[in-house]
Amino acid sequence: MRSITKGQIKAAFDAVKHTKIRSFWTMLGIIIGVTSVILVISISEGVKQQIDGQINQSGNDVITIQPASINVGGSSLPKLDLLSGLNITGSLSHSDIARVSNTKGVAEATPLSAMTAKIRGNQSFYSSGLVIGTYPNFPNIIDNSVKDGGFLTSYSHNSNNVVLGDQAAADLFKESDPIGLPLLINGRTYNVIGIMHSFPATPLSSSSVFNKAIFISYANSESLTNNTITTYRILAKPKKSSQTAAVTKLIYHNLLIGHGGQADFTVLDQSQSLADNSNVLNLTTRLIIIVASISLLVGGIGIMNVMLVSVTERMHEIGIRKAIGATNSQILNQFLLESIMLSVVGGFIGIILAVFIDVILRLFSNLNPVINIEVVIIVCLVSALIGIVFGSIPALKAARKDPVDALRAE
Amino acid sequence: MALIKLEGVSKLYGFGDATTVALDEVNLVIEKGEFIAVMGPSGSGKSTLMHVIGLIDRPSNGRYMFEGRSVARLKPDQSAKLRRDSIGFIFQSFNLLNRLTILENVALPLAYKGMSLSKRYKQASAVLERVGIQSREYFYPYQLSGGQAQCASIARALVNNPKLIIADEPTGNLDSSGSRLVMELLTEIHKTANTTIIFVTHNPELTRYASRVVYMHDGAIIHDEKTAFGSVAPRARQVLYTLPVKTVEDDLAGVSALMKAIPSKPSRHRTKKKRKVVSRKAAK
Repeated sequence: MRSITKGQIKAAFDAVKHTKIRSFWTMLGIIIGVTSVILVISISEGVKQQIDGQINQSGNDVITIQPASINVGGSSLPKLDLLSGLNITGSLSHSDIARVSNTKGVAEATPLSAMTAKIRGNQSFYSSGLVIGTYPNFPNIIDNSVKDGGFLTSYSHNSNNVVLGDQAAADLFKESDPIGLPLLINGRTYNVIGIMHSFPATPLSSSSVFNKAIFISYANSESLTNNTITTYRILAKPKKSSQTAAVTKLIYHNLLIGHGGQADFTVLDQSQSLADNSNVLNLTTRLIIIVASISLLVGGIGIMNVMLVSVTERMHEIGIRKAIGATNSQILNQFLLESIMLSVVGGFIGIILAVFIDVILRLFSNLNPVINIEVVIIVCLVSALIGIVFGSIPALKAARKDPVDALRAE
Repeated sequence: MALIKLEGVSKLYGFGDATTVALDEVNLVIEKGEFIAVMGPSGSGKSTLMHVIGLIDRPSNGRYMFEGRSVARLKPDQSAKLRRDSIGFIFQSFNLLNRLTILENVALPLAYKGMSLSKRYKQASAVLERVGIQSREYFYPYQLSGGQAQCASIARALVNNPKLIIADEPTGNLDSSGSRLVMELLTEIHKTANTTIIFVTHNPELTRYASRVVYMHDGAIIHDEKTAFGSVAPRARQVLYTLPVKTVEDDLAGVSALMKAIPSKPSRHRTKKKRKVVSRKAAK
């Protein structure tokens, strides 16, 4: 590699620098590609780490029963409930709740029903807010508690009490203390008796929607909707967390009997439901990376086009260089270095941009993107590779030109 | 041993009816240390001859021996190395790279040799001092006068201590003082390093500097004479009348005058397009 001298690297850098604007537009494809690849990988990596953290936290002994599983060729994939899981319409009935509660080893169980309604506080309103009907034992099961006031106490429907999620209280009542104030749900007046502690707001976890939810008693939610409300989930807590797996199986068997042998439901413990989410996440990540890679490819083609034009424009220069003794491989190296310079500088700008966006995401959203050094190194190598692959055609064109023809070109 | 030996070298462009003969069986022997002026009207094949001798073009036919070695079998990279180490080029339009400083331009052949950065700048700077424009080494080519730029390109040609310097109309873009500067510099190089120099010129006055003058017409060498330093070659005075002039009348008159002024070789099948070369005398 004696022919790649320091001077040639400088010459390549100068060539890029001298046509700054054109170089920038050339690099843009690479910049966008690199930025999106890194962003996608870092976001999904961050989400995975958050999920892992969630499993390791407390509350991992909660067993979730969801309706409607789809069986595809033996492998059981729960419906893709990416964010809220509210899109599932299935059948979990009163008898299911009873079966789960009566299963051996279950300490407590609660159904969750969900509906959207127009909700008005004294300051603001949700045009379609989430109303969740549940039992008074809900806080125990999900390891959360009210930070202000008290939770629902009655299983019966004649109570007009509601408890607000942390965010809902802030949204609907702003500065004022909502305890004791009236709240309108679809025009009916309810009485706020408590505010929940903030639920850990991690992506892909259904508990994050609870922060903006209004909790009413399960019976009340049924009367509010004339018994058309659906139970979208049953949460159960085993007596001992070490028995979680066994209890999960037991619940499954009990429900299977109740459903006449038809497995139109899934029973998951916490780690399973999160693992399912990360499978979905991995799939999505891979798809987006493929799309982003296409933009890298397009960026490479852009570099090739610009370099082809550049070689034609600088044919006379190539002639001069050959006349004073540049070998074909030295000319080849010069132009190859220039393309590599374009793609690597583009890659660096892309990395910096991705880091910048990641920082913004960390500050202003609940995502905590994580940038792996390996990913950065691989992206650098890939962008250098793009420079080599797409730079080689123009560079070969320059190198193979006859010196006298090149000199004659203007 | 002759430095350069051409035996029946021809160069043809194009195919079939459109074939152009740029060099027509040229025989030429150049010894070490000669200072040769090549004269002839435009399109007479001077530049092609320079390109062939300078190894940037290949002859279509004939044998070319450089230092006794045939160059026909050289691979592109081998001839590139020969150009780099043994041949220096000076062009009419300087052909310096505008993006590089004078120092970088001059150091470029050394870079292709793989010399280290500091070493090549040192050597380039020394050569620039020799041609008298060291004070301009950090200027860019477009910031120099024509004479200075040509000095810089002479420095670039010199930097590898070549055996042969080929100058294709080195004074073509210069005024008379620039021409004198460049020619005296070439003479100086010829005297001190005994470098073989071939230069193309339209100006008969410049044959004063040469030790031998070669005349070309339609791709063939029509006359070849040794001259004494300091005197204009006798034949060159005739060529003086073949300098191009501008008006249409001159053009028309010139074509007929040309026939008398320059005895051409009896033509074989020559398909080359004749350029109009006219005589100033005929116009008067």
